[in-house]
Amino acid sequence: MSILTKKLWRTIKTTRGQFLAVTAVVMLGITIYISMSTVSYNMLRSRDTFYREYNFADYYFHVIKAPEGVLRQIESVPGVTGATGRIQKDVPVLRDNGERATARLTSYPLPMNTELNRLRVLSGRLFEKYPAGSEAEVLLDPQYAAATRLAPGDTVKIVAEGKQVPLTVVGAATAPEFIYPMKDTASIIPEYGSFGIFMVPHNQVQEILNLSGQVNQIVIKIAPGADEKVVADRVESILEPYGSLASYPRRLQLSDAVLGVEIEQLQIMARFLPSIFLGIAALVEFVMLGRLVKTQRSQIGTMKAIGYDNLQILWHYTSYAVLVGLLGAALGSLTGVLMASSLSKVFAIFFNLPEVISGVSFQALLYGFVLSIAVGAIAGLTASRGVLTIQPAESMRTATPKAAGNIFLENWSWFWHRLSATWKMGLRTVFRNRFRTAVTMLGVVFATGMLVVSFFYQDTVDVMIDEYFSEKYDFFVRFTEPVKESELLSISRLEGVTKAEPVFEIPVKIRQGGRSQDELLTGLRPGPGMQGLSGPDGSPLTLPDEGLLISSSTAKKLQVDVGDEVQVETLLPIGPARESKIKIMGVHERFIGGTSYLSLQQANRIMQEDQLISGAMLKTDAGLAPLVEKKLNDMTGVSSILSQRAVMESFTEQLGFMYYFIFVMVAFALVLGFAIVYNTSVISFAERKKELASLRVIGFTVQEVSGLLLKENLLQTLLGVALGLPFGRYIAGAYINAMMTSSDVYSTYSFKIVIYPLTYVLSALGGILFIMAAYRLAVRGIKTLDLVEVLKTKD
Amino acid sequence: MNKNVLMSLNNITKTYVMGEITVEALKETSLEIYEGELLVILGPSGSGKSTLLNIMGGMDLPSSGEVYFGSDNLSKAGETKLTHYRRSEVGFVFQFYNLIPDLTASENVELAANLVDNPLPTAEVLREVGMETRMDHFPAQLSGGEQQRVSIARAVVKNPRLLLCDEPTGSLDSQTGRLILAMLLHINKEHNSTVVIVTHNAVIGDMAHRVLRMSSGRIVEVIENKSPLPPERIEW
Repeated sequence: MSILTKKLWRTIKTTRGQFLAVTAVVMLGITIYISMSTVSYNMLRSRDTFYREYNFADYYFHVIKAPEGVLRQIESVPGVTGATGRIQKDVPVLRDNGERATARLTSYPLPMNTELNRLRVLSGRLFEKYPAGSEAEVLLDPQYAAATRLAPGDTVKIVAEGKQVPLTVVGAATAPEFIYPMKDTASIIPEYGSFGIFMVPHNQVQEILNLSGQVNQIVIKIAPGADEKVVADRVESILEPYGSLASYPRRLQLSDAVLGVEIEQLQIMARFLPSIFLGIAALVEFVMLGRLVKTQRSQIGTMKAIGYDNLQILWHYTSYAVLVGLLGAALGSLTGVLMASSLSKVFAIFFNLPEVISGVSFQALLYGFVLSIAVGAIAGLTASRGVLTIQPAESMRTATPKAAGNIFLENWSWFWHRLSATWKMGLRTVFRNRFRTAVTMLGVVFATGMLVVSFFYQDTVDVMIDEYFSEKYDFFVRFTEPVKESELLSISRLEGVTKAEPVFEIPVKIRQGGRSQDELLTGLRPGPGMQGLSGPDGSPLTLPDEGLLISSSTAKKLQVDVGDEVQVETLLPIGPARESKIKIMGVHERFIGGTSYLSLQQANRIMQEDQLISGAMLKTDAGLAPLVEKKLNDMTGVSSILSQRAVMESFTEQLGFMYYFIFVMVAFALVLGFAIVYNTSVISFAERKKELASLRVIGFTVQEVSGLLLKENLLQTLLGVALGLPFGRYIAGAYINAMMTSSDVYSTYSFKIVIYPLTYVLSALGGILFIMAAYRLAVRGIKTLDLVEVLKTKD
Repeated sequence: MNKNVLMSLNNITKTYVMGEITVEALKETSLEIYEGELLVILGPSGSGKSTLLNIMGGMDLPSSGEVYFGSDNLSKAGETKLTHYRRSEVGFVFQFYNLIPDLTASENVELAANLVDNPLPTAEVLREVGMETRMDHFPAQLSGGEQQRVSIARAVVKNPRLLLCDEPTGSLDSQTGRLILAMLLHINKEHNSTVVIVTHNAVIGDMAHRVLRMSSGRIVEVIENKSPLPPERIEW
């Protein structure tokens, strides 16, 4: 080992607290980078392989029904390289426990090998076109199978065409379009066990649904380079006579959109958070090394006098920062790989990616090392560039004290003269060491900001739950098809039902000035009801007899406001599409759901029907709710029952995942704040040992002297905390904004950013507490300050 | 004694600008240093003696005039050439020893030894200065005299042709001081190094071959000492 290397080790040993603190910051940055980029890389790779191997379609077309022969016509459209026709329909499932669930019955033409959107069997076996038994065979998505504990050989009953149909479970399967099985955009929270994908051979589904020779969905593959829009328009015109309901490209397919957003968020986090950590580490290294070079000024002069050249000495000091980078990267890679595997497990719960996401991304590891070492080298070189200007002859002399001028505060004499001497000293130090003060404050701003962001999540979700569950109904019941309002009696008369309100839901396309948006219209009784509606400012809204209460996200997208008239086209698969005009009477805002409201009468009017309803909201006696649910389950006309209690439970389950992230974020924020304050405090303590000892000699007590340091520290950190709170609020807003604009799927949600005052208080307190701990640790030597020794040392 | 010139300084001056005033630290000074001599430069503080020493050691450049080491013109040398000169030709001994506090005695010596191709053996040099039993101590664990001995060893280990000492006894008591001077004389004789000692302590001149007296940036007197005293007999 060379002598300079030995010197380096000894320097690291004497400054080990600082060395480890800044290494921890680098380590956290690299941990986040490695884990997030590994997971996103693996998910991306896994997704792309899956999409390719299982022939994921490029474009979706939904129709009421079309003869299978139309496929040949579509296949002949230039640019279409493949087309698959199938049937997909949501049908009720009768579960053994009496609960209701919705099955998305999806048909698969056999043999499958040339078709699009092929499925992959995860367990059990593929279904048979003509099964040996009398029942058709079904493959379930793994989450539904797990939640309902259905195994191969079990029977599951669905309701189709008014009769119960038993299906034999033969296994579990997934497909590119079901990686994230989500019912619709309104069900942002998956309810396992209440919604499942049921995959059944095409011929069997045709039989079950009485649709022989028909399809209701066509998916196509588009040749690379072909104009998607042109091809889609051609296909749409072919499907026009068959009641075109919807068409959309792959990126708007729910599963793909959610997965895409998730991967993109991981990628953004993998860039954003590590940049903060490494940036702050670089600043701290810069301050530390700058100070080291200053204190070792005469040593550097000696080395130069002996004959060491600038490069050797520069490298000697830079290696300190490079070693921080190296160690931080090594530790961060380890924890990053560990965290990646636990993150992958969390994601595996939500996403059905068949190729299990594991594997270490060596590219991420390499980048991690290169990045942290480069950051260290740059910080080190910049900080120790002072080495170059040190003249050996001059450095032997004691450095002349820096010119001590006035700081700007001293111009405000009325203020300045009211300060005690110790406050004056504190203020002067803070303003003279402007760069160090800035670094400390910046670190505290980020740490406090991160605390706010971690807690904000919880607040927002809390308000979301509050709003979601403040609705005054206990059950939301949907019927298999629209019925006359008078039939509601059979439900409202059930024992335990205290109140029933009719609902008519109509999927529509709303148009205005060339823009259009798919939306769900919900018809309710005018006046106050069980569905609590409120405006963007939170004030309650009452449903008018005439006109539309449009959702704020749709209003924003269509650029419409109160008083405008919009064109509405119904997309209900009963009867032809109907066009009508409705005036907007108000804008309502909720956290989730692109739903607009109108009166029941008007809903019927646009359907050219009378007194039709599609479901009901029920209020029940608390004790009789299970009984009501059981009775509802027995009704064949009921397609789904949404129980507020069940949704709440499933939601709470999801929170565990959220707490995991909050915990990690809070821990990281605290380490960041701690490391910075510890380092800068150690430096300013060391720098001022002599001055503090002099004060002690004069007669200051230990308390008085540490009070002086504390004042300086508080000046910096309190300001940092104060700035950190609004900064956190800003980042939270930017994050939500980025999420909402990243995909059309999320743009139907209107997220509010809610931060309780308590969150600010907690963030501030948490920040201050940790800062004080770091400060105490840094200046613990103050009690044992050896007065004689300190005053004797030549600086 | 032969009179081969090792180093010559011709009409050198040195001025510093300090804020609004200009300080003339050296005024038109010329000097020749001979191979193998022991030269003492005497003068009160501010007389320019340390400036002169720094220029000799390649730590500083003159404002005007020329400095030759052999045939090398140092007055026009860049940083690289000066570093190389200090590395291979010069050994420094400082008043405050300037040992690296993080390195042990022997490591401080090795720090210098590592810089040249054929250094003297570290252990041997430490034995020469009487530090063989304390070579694993850190500077903080050594007395001033011991630190100065390590500092001499550090200068000598490179086997330099020129040994420059800036107030080498300035921080030491007289007994320890004499010991250090004896050591410098020993180096001068045994290693045939040219030794230049800068001091304000006039009695040290008694051991020199030549004494230069400086005052206000000028050499005011050059004394040839026909019979130098051994350091043990110097009184102060």
